[in-house]
Amino acid sequence: MIALLRYQTALLLRSQRWLPPFILYAAFLAIGVQSGRPVLDSLGYSAAAVLPVAAWLVRICATNEPPAARSCVGAAVGPGRAHLACLAVALGAAVLIGVAATLVVTVISDPTSTDHQKRVPVLAAAGAGLLAALVCALLGTAVGALTTWPLLRSPGRAVPAMLLAALLALVVTGSPAHAALTDLITGSRAGTVPAPLLPLAAAVLLTAAAIAAACVFTSRRSA
Amino acid sequence: MKRELRLEGVGRRYGIHGPWVLRGADLDVTPGTLIRVEGPNGTGKSTLLRLLAGIDAPTEGRITGRPRTAYVPERFPAALPFTASGYLTHLGAVHGLTRTAAARAADEWLERLGAAGYARTPLSELSKGSSQKVAVAQALLAEPELLVLDEAWTGLDAAARAELERAVAERTAAGAAVVFVDHDPRRLSGVPDATYTVIAGSLNRRTDSVTSVVSGPHVVVEAEGPPDAEPPAEAAGLSTSVRRTAPGTTHFTVPESHSDVLLRSLLGARPPWHVVRVSRAHPQDAAESAVDPLHTESRR
Repeated sequence: MIALLRYQTALLLRSQRWLPPFILYAAFLAIGVQSGRPVLDSLGYSAAAVLPVAAWLVRICATNEPPAARSCVGAAVGPGRAHLACLAVALGAAVLIGVAATLVVTVISDPTSTDHQKRVPVLAAAGAGLLAALVCALLGTAVGALTTWPLLRSPGRAVPAMLLAALLALVVTGSPAHAALTDLITGSRAGTVPAPLLPLAAAVLLTAAAIAAACVFTSRRSA
Repeated sequence: MKRELRLEGVGRRYGIHGPWVLRGADLDVTPGTLIRVEGPNGTGKSTLLRLLAGIDAPTEGRITGRPRTAYVPERFPAALPFTASGYLTHLGAVHGLTRTAAARAADEWLERLGAAGYARTPLSELSKGSSQKVAVAQALLAEPELLVLDEAWTGLDAAARAELERAVAERTAAGAAVVFVDHDPRRLSGVPDATYTVIAGSLNRRTDSVTSVVSGPHVVVEAEGPPDAEPPAEAAGLSTSVRRTAPGTTHFTVPESHSDVLLRSLLGARPPWHVVRVSRAHPQDAAESAVDPLHTESRR
């Protein structure tokens, strides 16, 4: 499995297809996050944007290999494991981006509530931001896994489905990402730091199910 | 302990209501055997090979006993951001080698296939034939227990084609199973232990394969062993005919692709045999071997 992860990571880094989502995310942060803004609001903003980035990274990783090369790896380790490595690398990259953004946002933001009246403990705020970013990275990975090869193969359907699913995962009540972000925003208004552990648990379960479904499907659908 | 791959009533179709591409296939892939699959285009050969390689799962039926598998696709247009040796090192590690062993095996196989000069070339810049050499190398470098070749010879130059035939002989001699499809009927002719045909989605074993023995190039190896010793079993198994010409002197007729493996088995026998002469078989020798009474006994 380690060799597979190395291979998929090298594939992602050398393909340079990670650059567009990364640059777009950085631009999004540059527009929306400014120093001196309330920390929990800014963390909610930066975490929310991780979700579509994670979905996009999954799409990149899942379509990086030509079918012939995918077959060679699939024969060696089983197509399910090969796809699992590919999803794990995408998730890892999204988490990395989320963690980096959380650190930067925590450092430059104002550790206060939305109305700048109450102080907010910085470390706890960073922890809450990390959890929210993790929830969004997980859910984005689930969205990506369900809207790319092997479940949806034609880009004409897969890309709109991915964008719509990512949007719904952020705004629909009951989605763990929506719950985690709501926690941050209401916490910011009240000046208390939330711990979105329940959304995290739900996101872990949902994503595990989505990844398992995608991996099982790899050998059922043709290349 | 090597596992035997077994297909029981295996069928495959694409989509829920799609037509069956293959149905009711039963096949045992015993370790050490070479299996040829024939059939017209578009009848399910590639589907069978993908099932054997574990890339596709059967829609119905069961596949049990998965050995360490490697697969060579028909075409390998690898638009991957690696050099040839970089890609092979990654794949060797994926196949279970350490990174140093993988790098060494990558260089060795590129050299054997005549592509050592392309080791540092990006895959995207390789010609079709050189890409195919990379595909062949990735399958061979970790010494798999099951090698599945889907027209792997297509696009290779003559030297690399012969090298791949020798590599197949080495793998089967080492106890691995090899399953292949190739359009050239002379490919490894006379060597396969079994030939199957896929016609209209059903798999059948061919029984009329005797005639193909004469068609491929053969080599005669003259060797001396202890006066009363029987020829080593492995050497006899590789040969299409084994004839004792004088006390202690034996002629082994073997398909050209298997001559190296035969020599290795003679020299490595206990006690070792002495190789006197290696020569190309005349067509009549090979023809003679087909009717040689010893022939049937010596074949596995």
